[in-house]
Amino acid sequence: MSRSYKNRPQQQSTAMIGVLVGLLVLVVVGSCACWALVQGFNKTSDLLGAQPDVSAKPASNVLRIAYSPEKETLFTQLVNGYNQTGPDYRVQPIRMEPDAMIRGALNGEFEAMSPDSSIWLRQLDQQFAQQLSDADAFLVSQTRYYGISPVVIAMWKDVAQTLGWPTRSLGWNDLVSYALANPDFAWSHPSTASAAGLLATLAELYAAAGVTRGLTPEDLEKPETVARLQEIERTVRYYGEGEWATAQQVNQRGRDYLDAFVCQEQLVVWLNQQGKDVVAIYPVEGSLWEDHPLALLEVASLTPQHRLAFEQFAAYVASPQAQEMVLANGYRPADLSLDIRGPDSPLTAANGVDPDQPLTNLQLPGAQVIDQVRNVWWLIKRKTNVYLVVDTSGSMDGEKLRNVQDALKTFVNQIEGADERVGLVEFWGDVRTVVPLDRLGNNRAALIDAVDSLEAGGNTALLDGVQQAFLELQQLGDRERINAIVVMTDGRENASRTTLRDLTGRLGENQQSGAPIVVFAIAYGSDADYVLLEQLAIPGGGQVRAGTVETIRELYKILSTYF
Amino acid sequence: MNRTRWVFLIIVGAAILLAVAIMLIARDGDQGTATSGSVDRRQPIEVTVITALSIEPWVREAANQFNQAEQKLEDTGQVVHVTIIPMDGLAAKSKFERDEMDPVPVAWIPDSRYLTELVNASFKERLGRDVFLTDGEYRGRPIAITLLAWGIYESRAQALESSFGKIDWQVIHDAAVNPDGWDALGGREEWGFFKLAISNPRKNVSGLGAMVAAAGEYYGSTSIDPEDVNRNAFQDWLAEIMGSMSDLSGGTYTVQDLALFGYTTGDAGQLLESDLLLNMEGIQTRWADPLRIVYPQYVTWFDFPFTVWMGPETTADQKNAALVFEAYLLSKPVQERALTYGLRPESAAVPVDGPDSLFTRWQSQGAQIIVPRTTAMRSPDRQVLQDLLRFFDLRVAGR
Repeated sequence: MSRSYKNRPQQQSTAMIGVLVGLLVLVVVGSCACWALVQGFNKTSDLLGAQPDVSAKPASNVLRIAYSPEKETLFTQLVNGYNQTGPDYRVQPIRMEPDAMIRGALNGEFEAMSPDSSIWLRQLDQQFAQQLSDADAFLVSQTRYYGISPVVIAMWKDVAQTLGWPTRSLGWNDLVSYALANPDFAWSHPSTASAAGLLATLAELYAAAGVTRGLTPEDLEKPETVARLQEIERTVRYYGEGEWATAQQVNQRGRDYLDAFVCQEQLVVWLNQQGKDVVAIYPVEGSLWEDHPLALLEVASLTPQHRLAFEQFAAYVASPQAQEMVLANGYRPADLSLDIRGPDSPLTAANGVDPDQPLTNLQLPGAQVIDQVRNVWWLIKRKTNVYLVVDTSGSMDGEKLRNVQDALKTFVNQIEGADERVGLVEFWGDVRTVVPLDRLGNNRAALIDAVDSLEAGGNTALLDGVQQAFLELQQLGDRERINAIVVMTDGRENASRTTLRDLTGRLGENQQSGAPIVVFAIAYGSDADYVLLEQLAIPGGGQVRAGTVETIRELYKILSTYF
Repeated sequence: MNRTRWVFLIIVGAAILLAVAIMLIARDGDQGTATSGSVDRRQPIEVTVITALSIEPWVREAANQFNQAEQKLEDTGQVVHVTIIPMDGLAAKSKFERDEMDPVPVAWIPDSRYLTELVNASFKERLGRDVFLTDGEYRGRPIAITLLAWGIYESRAQALESSFGKIDWQVIHDAAVNPDGWDALGGREEWGFFKLAISNPRKNVSGLGAMVAAAGEYYGSTSIDPEDVNRNAFQDWLAEIMGSMSDLSGGTYTVQDLALFGYTTGDAGQLLESDLLLNMEGIQTRWADPLRIVYPQYVTWFDFPFTVWMGPETTADQKNAALVFEAYLLSKPVQERALTYGLRPESAAVPVDGPDSLFTRWQSQGAQIIVPRTTAMRSPDRQVLQDLLRFFDLRVAGR
């Protein structure tokens, strides 16, 4: 009993301690819950934007810069050099033609761009202002230069000497007169989608309009101006995908490819460094500069971090190390303290260029006139008769044929204008003209349908396929237009009635006496007979390109730029 | 007090202490994430300054030194950190007016005070108040000065002077309209036509300033009104001059361009004196022909006012921190550095002909320590500027 009496207060106090511990636990748990709730509310508020987190970083730590293809070597070197410095924001280069760059900038696909010329920046701002119906609106903010190069006429030295160089200053008029008087003279300029092509067209238009500045929309509408421009453009051998690609072809093929072409001075230096005896003609009427601006775009995705990254990249390309790289690549560096006449400069007479030239520029008209120049060029540029000759032998079955069908449709759709003539020939163990040559305005839909209905089977009568297209073009005898065959095969010739010797003989004879026909050949996959295709294409100034299932669409797209 | 009570009191006390500690921790956490209404004195105050392109190199250099020195705001003891964003005055004006400044800067250094006046006018219509003050502690204060001067390649200057005498806008006009180009102007045929180099007035304030200066000389007046600008005879005269620009496609044109592209794109131009001085050496390295500076009779001045944004987007501390940076820019060592960038110091205590002065160095090319007797153009009003821009769009760029 006594034990039970003594134990009673102890039991009471134990119970009390239990209650108090329980209370303590409740207080702790409650406080923690309150704290958690407060934190949770804060986080929710953040999500709702009530308390923005100023330190929040954007999702991506990349500054995207679109650049034009002619400076791929230099730009890639600059970007690699910059990224190797370990910046917070890396630069991601995106290769793009200036035309596509304008569309991309308007769509906010990148934060900065470096086209071949500032002309495109103005075109971009003009289109942006039109979109917003506000003349004061612009997308391009900061612009920096890192390397420039004047547009010149690159000419084999002996050809230039024939025209009177170096004792005489040559110009656009000399080039045009010589081309008109000599049908064998092969020259080319890119389309007006590049600065070099635009300048060449502009120079032709000044000559055609009989003015040297103040070109007006009225000048461009005069029938005699348009007719003269058309006459000049008829002397162009073919156009092409751009000056860098043309320079590479000239390097590979030498004199047989072209006598002259329009490009930036830097490519003349490059060709001389490859051992080619080419000189830069600085047109006496005036030139233009490919100034390769590096421009920041005020797109919606631009963050303060992008802005800082742009500053850092711009500072890098302006650094002595980068500027020496620019000069070593044959550009005139933006850093004026670098001596372009110094011993380390590649801008020398030995490399075909003169750092004291050019002496004057052609006047660059207003943005609307430039637009009109481009439109006029598309309207009057030398038209094409082109036959697509397609291998539909058994080996093409499946994915190979499907991708070629896709590529052929891209080719047809890529060629602008209804006046270009396109036809389709297929070959397997036999040959068939699937769609006869006609204006795209008449047969574009038929071509697309015919391409969709192509089926694979049988042997490979490659030579007969090319011959069929050749005979039809030869019969046409059209000297006004570019005549071309774009032939594709994935295998080896094994079924033709004609022989390689006969066909190349006919092609050769035709080059001498008929309307020249250029063969562009695509060796599709590793089994294609590359050597035979070279024998078909090279003598007439054509090309052979290797394509795969993955690249065939892009390859046809590139070839479409030649027409 | 028995043991039970002691235990009771200890547990209750511990519970209260624990609860208080938890609440304090929670409160601290709140303060750590707050962005407004409280101040974290350990963090630097960020001051973003939109800066006119022509003084950006000098201001950026000063900002770097300022940041390294960890200058503090007196009231709070916080370190002030300055970030420079280069932007042409017209571009900045447009962004302010369209509410596209993101983030809104704490301060703006435009090329000229009339740009802040234009922005103020725009906001006054919308908000009924100025966003940049013109008096009081936060008023805009010039930090350096420059002016528009003729920059002419020496060979071209000699040819023009031999044909026409002293170079002014009328001489430029006569050279511009000559149908036979340099061959008839006393120069060489290969130089082509006379080419005028001025900045695109849509893209660069100095281009607009040059047009105002041309109008001043045409009318012999420092004050231009809309009626002057819209008079046909004046517009024809100015259109003939501007028709000799080598690029009508909308490109801007600065002395850097004149240096980089040389006389291929411009024989002469009315451009910022500071830029001319800064690029003089580079021009001599790159081009065989040096550049000469000629001071016009009617001068457009640029005073680069440091102006603090008075909107609620920035805090009072940021506004005060901006004034700390402004004072730094006006300090003697920084003002002396302005001379090495071809800028005339605002501070009267710093002589223009100091030891590192580009004005001293390029006196041989026409630079003058004291600007010769000239007439300063008055700041144009909004309508004059708009009419000039419309003229440019229709009569020059639209060609």
